[in-house]
Amino acid sequence: METKKIPLTINGIETTVVKGTTLLNAINKLNIDIPTLCHHKDLTPNGSCRLCMCEISMDGKKELVTSCNYPITHSITVETENEKVKKHRKNLSLMYLGRYPNVPVIKDLAKRCEAYDANLFKSEITEESTNACILCGRCVRACEEFIQEKILSFAGRGINRHLTMPFNEVDPHCVGCTSCAYVCPTGAIQIVDQMNNPANPELIRNHGMKVNAEMANLDPYQCRMREVGTANIVEVMDKYDLLPVHNYKFGQHVDTPKIDSKVMKNHYFTQGHPDQCWHGCSMACAKAVDGFKLKTGPYKGHKVCVDGPEYETAGGCSNMGCFDIDFVVEFNFYCDTYGIDTISMGTTMAFVMEAFEAGVITTKDTNGLKLNFGACNEVLTCLHQLSQGEGFGVEVGQGVKFLKEKWSKQKPQFKNFLYDIGMEAKGLEYSEYMCKESLAQQAGYTLALKGPQHDEAWLIFMDMVNNQIPSFEDKAEALYYFPLFRTWFGLQGLCKIVWNDVSPADNKKHPPQQAAKIPEHVDNYWKFFEGMTGIKLDEEKMLNQSARVHNLQKIIGLMLGRNKLIDDIPPYRAVGPVTKEEYTSRSERYDKELKEKIGIDPTPLSIEEKMQKIREYRMHQYHKVMQAAFKRRGWDEFGIPKIERLKELGIDRPEFIQILEKARQEAREQN
Amino acid sequence: MITVNNRDQLEWSPNMTVQDVLNHMGHTYSLITVTVNDKLVEDEDYDSFVVPDHAFVSVFHLAHGG
Repeated sequence: METKKIPLTINGIETTVVKGTTLLNAINKLNIDIPTLCHHKDLTPNGSCRLCMCEISMDGKKELVTSCNYPITHSITVETENEKVKKHRKNLSLMYLGRYPNVPVIKDLAKRCEAYDANLFKSEITEESTNACILCGRCVRACEEFIQEKILSFAGRGINRHLTMPFNEVDPHCVGCTSCAYVCPTGAIQIVDQMNNPANPELIRNHGMKVNAEMANLDPYQCRMREVGTANIVEVMDKYDLLPVHNYKFGQHVDTPKIDSKVMKNHYFTQGHPDQCWHGCSMACAKAVDGFKLKTGPYKGHKVCVDGPEYETAGGCSNMGCFDIDFVVEFNFYCDTYGIDTISMGTTMAFVMEAFEAGVITTKDTNGLKLNFGACNEVLTCLHQLSQGEGFGVEVGQGVKFLKEKWSKQKPQFKNFLYDIGMEAKGLEYSEYMCKESLAQQAGYTLALKGPQHDEAWLIFMDMVNNQIPSFEDKAEALYYFPLFRTWFGLQGLCKIVWNDVSPADNKKHPPQQAAKIPEHVDNYWKFFEGMTGIKLDEEKMLNQSARVHNLQKIIGLMLGRNKLIDDIPPYRAVGPVTKEEYTSRSERYDKELKEKIGIDPTPLSIEEKMQKIREYRMHQYHKVMQAAFKRRGWDEFGIPKIERLKELGIDRPEFIQILEKARQEAREQN
Repeated sequence: MITVNNRDQLEWSPNMTVQDVLNHMGHTYSLITVTVNDKLVEDEDYDSFVVPDHAFVSVFHLAHGG
């Protein structure tokens, strides 16, 4: 097997590095100091300052190389401080000193290289300033690498070379990311803060820069948010059997590659620049498709710009069985244009399609539309009808809750089936994760006060794949922390994406329960908060900020006669297999569950009997995790906040207590 | 036999590497942390780190997205 490790000797010390490691990194790993000016740990090395020069020997040949951009591919011997190298660095230092005699980093460098005579190589133009630009080019590279712009560049030749913006004017494309100032070694670029009077702008900048650096260096190997945005999740979800397909019956499909991020990237995405949805953000996760020619609707034949598609839109389409990328983009465009949420539309149509295929509704109910899974044109027809307030689209536009209630009254023989497959809770359609194999995700979705929207439901990998929250208490703890953390973003008006769509390189040093939180990134958010307000945060203070709002939402819901215990119970499709074909598609998993977790030999049972046993077990498990989550939140067995909890949070106002006690009394009578 | 994520059993074979385990489990995710008997395995060692028989392998997927 080919090894990735290369042996080498540096100053007589034997070591090994991963193939492709730069020589400078190998040297630094041994804590050997060599001078650099143009190098910055977060930037691509370019070797322009020449100070990191070392002498290497390979196959009897010696040569000087710039260590910062020399990738180690073969075993070599390295000398970092021999006479030839030292003389080279000294001459360079003298030239730098001759031009920038008062810049501290140059003076330090000269001292380090024993270069003392500033007049020996004196430049025709001497920069007397202590924070003169030394033309190291870090800022130019930072602008391009961190933010994918070219706001800064060099102009002029020889001693007239200087740093500038296009036409010597402030470029409107500058998003104010401050990367240039962050990497400047002399202070030649300084930031003037004029916005919102933050308490500590430097604190915000310094932590924002950490994000910028991670985006430049880690994102290409992690989630590729800059390249494809959240569309990267399409293939991940499919691979892990979590992509909703055919109204959440299944978790993957053979046609997923037709709508995944590779297709979007290769043939559709034309825009990927920072759109300033968060000022200065370098992630640039928003993507757009230019010049897309519409095939239907009021803008048929027009070439338009489409904002997206993101993961949830593609997931909504897989849920409808529509694996046609042109459809995905057109569906995306018209949902945006009509002001319709792609998730709710996708989930509602998936429900309609299953009802149609099961014979619950027919073309008589749909005004002639044959709404089988994969009926792309018919979905678009429904969408246009919805926008016009006509035809079957009018009913679709009222969502799953409305449809299942209406059809259950018209066709009571299908009521149980419709309530099993109607993927909504609290009136909101489920977002696009197939959650039936993850108990924690089921609770994350269904216990969210606003309904099963994905921003509070975060546990599917932790629970189903990692098995890192096995007990009910573990799940309850996760169901406490993550939804409140996500709520906190919303309260502050901060974007979630830079929390966990890029991860620090050393996040692996944390044990899994901590690693899942990404502690360094949580700290970034606390520093953003502190930088704006001057108030220091910790985990308890942050969670309590959210918990106050969370409990107030609950109180308001109860006051309006909503958010009752029944509203925290998911449709069974979210929990387990409703139909035989679902059971059959995962029969090995379910038979194993019967045998190992429930203690029943599945062999003599019919599929119907096995499904019933699984259902009883899973719903029992759901109720247990729901109660554990209630307890962790400081709520009673009916999911109503206890008065002690309101006191802890400082929101125990008499009118709130009155609402809660009334709701508690009603719950006791009803349950 | 080795145990993955304290749940899944996988037949062990001589010279089985971490990468073999990931391939077998279908774990292609980009944000993965692997430990073998509680020892962290670096990414660059996945194809050379040999997993011993009866090992407990943890494949931790860091959530992202949405």
